[in-house]
Amino acid sequence: MSRIKDLQKNLFGGTTSNVRQFGMIFTLVAIVLLFEIWTGGLTLTSGNLIAVVSQYSYILILAIGMLMVIVAGHIDLSVGSVAAFTGIVVAKAMQEFSIPWPLGIALGLAVGAVIGAWQGFWVAYVGVPAFIVTLAGMLLFRGGNQYIGNADTVPVLDGFRTIGAGFLPEVGPDTGYNNLTLLLGLAACLGVVWREWKTRQTRRTMNADVAPMWITVLRLAVMLGVIVFATLRFASGRVGTSLPISGIILIVLVLGYSYYTRHTIGGRHIYAVGGNARAAELSGVKLKRVNFLVMMNMSVLAALAGMIFVARSSASGPQDGLSWELDAIAAVFIGGAAVSGGLGTISGSIVGGLVMALLNNGLQLEGVGSDMVQIIKGLVLLLAVAFDVYNKSQDRFSIIGSLMRPFSRGAPTAPAGEPRPAPDSDKARVAG
Amino acid sequence: MTHDPALLEMRSITKTFPGVTALADVNLAVRAGEIHAICGENGAGKSTLMKVLSGVYPHGTYTGDIVYQGEEVRFHDIRASERAGIVIIHQELALVPGMSITENIFLGNEPRRRGAIDWKAAQRRALELMEQVGLQEDPDTLIKDIGIGKQQLVEIAKAFAKDVKLLILDEPTAALNEADSQHLLDLLRGFRERGITSIIISHKLNEIEAVADSITILRDGRTIESLDVKADGVNEDRIVRGMVGRELSSRFPDHLPDIGEVFFEVRDWTVRHPNSAERLVCKGSSFHVRRGEIVGFAGLMGAGRTELAMSLFGRSYGVYLSGTVVKDGEEIQLRSVADAIRHGLAYVSEDRKAIGLNLIDDIKTSMVAAKLQKISTYGVIDPVGEYRAAEEYRKNLKIKTPSVDEGVMKLSGGNQQKVVLAKWMFTDPDLLILDEPTRGIDVGAKYEIYGIIQRLADQGKGVIVISSELPELIGLCDRVYTMFEGAITGDVPRRDATPELLMKQMTSMKKTPTP
Amino acid sequence: MRKFLTRSLAVTGAVALLALSAACAGEREGATGAATGDSTSAAKGFAADALIGVALPSKTSENWVLAGDLFTDGLKQAGFKSDVQYAGASTTVADQQSQISAMVTKGAKVIVIGATDAAQLATQVTQAKQSGATVIAYDRLITNTPSVDYYIAFDNFKVGQLQGQALLDGMKAKKPNGPWTVELFSGSPDDNNSGVFFNGAMDVLKPLIDKGDLVVGSGQKDIKQTAIQGWKAENAQQRMDSLLTSTYNGNKTLDGVLSPNDTLARAIITSVKGAGKPIPVVTGQDSEAESVKSIVAGEQYSTINKDTRKLVAETVDMIKALQQGKTPEINDTKSYDNGVKVVPAYLLPPVIVTKANVAEAYANDPKLAPLTK
Repeated sequence: MSRIKDLQKNLFGGTTSNVRQFGMIFTLVAIVLLFEIWTGGLTLTSGNLIAVVSQYSYILILAIGMLMVIVAGHIDLSVGSVAAFTGIVVAKAMQEFSIPWPLGIALGLAVGAVIGAWQGFWVAYVGVPAFIVTLAGMLLFRGGNQYIGNADTVPVLDGFRTIGAGFLPEVGPDTGYNNLTLLLGLAACLGVVWREWKTRQTRRTMNADVAPMWITVLRLAVMLGVIVFATLRFASGRVGTSLPISGIILIVLVLGYSYYTRHTIGGRHIYAVGGNARAAELSGVKLKRVNFLVMMNMSVLAALAGMIFVARSSASGPQDGLSWELDAIAAVFIGGAAVSGGLGTISGSIVGGLVMALLNNGLQLEGVGSDMVQIIKGLVLLLAVAFDVYNKSQDRFSIIGSLMRPFSRGAPTAPAGEPRPAPDSDKARVAG
Repeated sequence: MTHDPALLEMRSITKTFPGVTALADVNLAVRAGEIHAICGENGAGKSTLMKVLSGVYPHGTYTGDIVYQGEEVRFHDIRASERAGIVIIHQELALVPGMSITENIFLGNEPRRRGAIDWKAAQRRALELMEQVGLQEDPDTLIKDIGIGKQQLVEIAKAFAKDVKLLILDEPTAALNEADSQHLLDLLRGFRERGITSIIISHKLNEIEAVADSITILRDGRTIESLDVKADGVNEDRIVRGMVGRELSSRFPDHLPDIGEVFFEVRDWTVRHPNSAERLVCKGSSFHVRRGEIVGFAGLMGAGRTELAMSLFGRSYGVYLSGTVVKDGEEIQLRSVADAIRHGLAYVSEDRKAIGLNLIDDIKTSMVAAKLQKISTYGVIDPVGEYRAAEEYRKNLKIKTPSVDEGVMKLSGGNQQKVVLAKWMFTDPDLLILDEPTRGIDVGAKYEIYGIIQRLADQGKGVIVISSELPELIGLCDRVYTMFEGAITGDVPRRDATPELLMKQMTSMKKTPTP
Repeated sequence: MRKFLTRSLAVTGAVALLALSAACAGEREGATGAATGDSTSAAKGFAADALIGVALPSKTSENWVLAGDLFTDGLKQAGFKSDVQYAGASTTVADQQSQISAMVTKGAKVIVIGATDAAQLATQVTQAKQSGATVIAYDRLITNTPSVDYYIAFDNFKVGQLQGQALLDGMKAKKPNGPWTVELFSGSPDDNNSGVFFNGAMDVLKPLIDKGDLVVGSGQKDIKQTAIQGWKAENAQQRMDSLLTSTYNGNKTLDGVLSPNDTLARAIITSVKGAGKPIPVVTGQDSEAESVKSIVAGEQYSTINKDTRKLVAETVDMIKALQQGKTPEINDTKSYDNGVKVVPAYLLPPVIVTKANVAEAYANDPKLAPLTK
């Protein structure tokens, strides 16, 4: 029993892990195995894995930003439209003014930043709920896309297509694998081992309980196993294909943003604002700035996602970005974020996104129609969140818990007091 | 009138919550056609008693009998008590701001004709009811467009629409200005002429003295006494004595204050309500704090203590109008919470669950939240530093938890309060403002928190304690300011502080502030 | 610490070996025909029970649903395994992209694509091509990629011409002498065919407009003004509503409306009826059941019979030829330039249907024939 508990607590992400995250990783593995068997081994072929990464990297990039938005207690419905708008602006700019493609990417990010500043301004400084601001943005930028592109499809340069359809180049001796992918895999292995060792050291210096050795070893083994497996799969794709560039962009973003949200003051502030905005404000957190930056960041990532999609599709079209916001939001909630804000992790959202991606992919490999795929995805979202809600309510109202309550010290005594409204109760809350 | 039969008798009412006895063997007898006042400190059990009466706490969740109009009654919900003609008007009005007066009066009680609401009849009846309560307005006016005093009248009209026999008003004048309060009291007298019985819960003792026929005083969930105003010759002092008359036992750690010079001074602090331009919540308040001094702020609900504290703490409440803050001889600007923290202020809020803590955080995260820079380099938080800081406070403040990785939600009230204290001690403040630091905490934990407060003072910090418990202020503080309706009405050194004196200054403007 | 290292190394080594053996299925495949983009790979032929992928747009028109059913049956009868997919209603392009990728993964030998957005499939088509599959653009030409092998469709320019002619004939029958007042509608701007239809119709109508015999009441003659986003009925109805309000509010009569397909035609008629105006001559295309009923009832004037059965049957024949390693039959090698190359095409002739020939035109159609009686 205690070993299982140890495992739950320590196997995936140390102290912040919870039943939900454990459950989602388990679900992901189950989905992979199910489809691997069902499709007769097609799911884990190099070609399919590469296709899945390039197909869903832009949704996962959106999920990163969306996680932060949702943790801060907001929502962003405009990401699909912002992506489409950025895509058409960049495509048009490259077509009409023949600007070089790296400049095009820079332009796209700048467009995202400007849009983000616009939305952030309304959310943070005017106090319009993000739901409304981004609903407006959804219409605004969808219209903008059609206005600029004349609802037409605009092709993009080959160089630009690298970020969406490019792969790591083939260099070095013929090993039968893509050498750069192998090197990346090796670096990932070293990184994982180093981090694990560092974590143990840190825990030891602070005299905290260190996870049992067997757990560390098991955990390392699982992680290294996954990395080695993935590396070999990606490296052994058809000549000319390997880990997609969009996948590399995704990995860099995931690592960067995970670090930011977990280990920096700025990241901590996002969680504080989402968990209890008033408490955060009274602790000196600059509420408006946090909200502004979170919304702005989301639009920049949406712009990037839009460009990756355009690059992959080799053209920017009027249907780009349709209902992306829903996929990104679903990924975040499946990944364990709370609707009320303050809870959720980047890695959880990525796992949530992968669950959706592999489900989609597996069903398509099976030739299940898109109508059924939507139905199944809808049910998965509902069940994942219902599971979470059920778990929480169990925690709060469990029979044992309520039996034990009379014996616990400092039980709630509130009802005896006079109702005394907090003086800020009528002060407008700046929240979505 | 004194010989009228009892309309209502509550006998031996006992109501317990897990771990707390809110009402113990309380008796209340209200005669038909009188105005009966219930007095007591915050937490004495007044509201709980009224909730028992009105069925908010249904029959079966308490023990004791309620006899109403000569029969024993068992209310299972509010509707049942309303059917019997008992209507409560709560301090927070239950009106829908976006609906008209008529709609509000008949909300949930709409006159119907063939299934549809008969608005014509409603309008007619509304006008009658409004005349009864002396409200002159177009019945189609929206609630949000009339003042709080008139809103109160709409509530009463709403009660009349339900054919009220016993009207209960919980702090009816707390939010009203002088004229509106006077009108309301006159109205109550009018109801008495017409034979309607009222129960009034109020902190404003002068009003009670003026309007009530009899008074029941509660303290710590018990009935202390029932007074007949005329027969017993009751005045404010007499009521105060009943309210605070408990003994101060040795509930405080021994402490020898070591008080230095004045280092923090607030002059002429004036702040208005965030939503209402004419309502001042702080009126030219001036006070000072010395190093090593524990300064109490006494006042009743709505006196403006919390508002004063929060408006000082980086303008976290209301709209700043005027006033200066001087610290260590220099005027400082406190425009944001960050400013306040930088200048060494800390504010521990009265509502730790709603605005003091992020309840989904763990202990260590909560403790360092107000000064993350202290454990960070270039914006990156050092987990070891965080852990060590949290561990230190866990040991020093004796927080009962297996680990600082636990969630604060799981802690008891006392331990949560210690976490909040740790959070603000971590910011290395010079002046701590503690708003109701012991609310909802059991006696043992209170003792510990008093000890922590005294230690902080001994380190040369100034501590302001806002409390509604007079014994706590008298036992803990070196000096107590009293507040009434946003103004400071007294500055009482410890040796002079008695509950009677404080209560008197808390309930009237009579005394001018001592500089 | 040492114990930790040795143990972890041992376990990870074991796992790594496992993973290696699982992953190392062998050598990497080369890129087949990647660079050339020609159809030499087809010359070799493939297994008679190979998988054939069919990716169609979302089910917004009954034509596509019918095509899908026909493909499923036709390919089965021909002995192939089939995978017929429709794009989702709200995520069309991205869905189709991943569906094509999935077909490639499954090793489809021929992939037939009815594109949702003809310009946004280059990456997937190239991927398919590299995996050795033959790509057939069905009904809509896929642009900006060298990897499309064949294009099969009805002659859409001809469709436009027939529509234009039918519009004129219909109006002449009602009102022998001009000038006639008309309004023009065209299809979704992201569909390559929209322009082809429109240009075909204008090929007939333009001279009359220039002469003044034909008046576009609203003056909206440009394809950007007439386009209906997404071929959506609601958008067409909206546009017609506003045209009626802005241009035909008085006694001005509307003689005819050029509509590119049946769905839009019915939306236009609904709008006119809603405004209480007499129904003008409205063209159409696709032979949708509701429109056939409408023609029989004398409301919609014409539709185009592009017999989906024939088109699908021709496509299946093409696939059969490819299977045997033969070059499939084509009848146009110069008209369809997709921006990178001229795609060899097989074009089928369309047939105009009005009330006059409706019974005859659908005599062989099990679903539509009963409607004409």
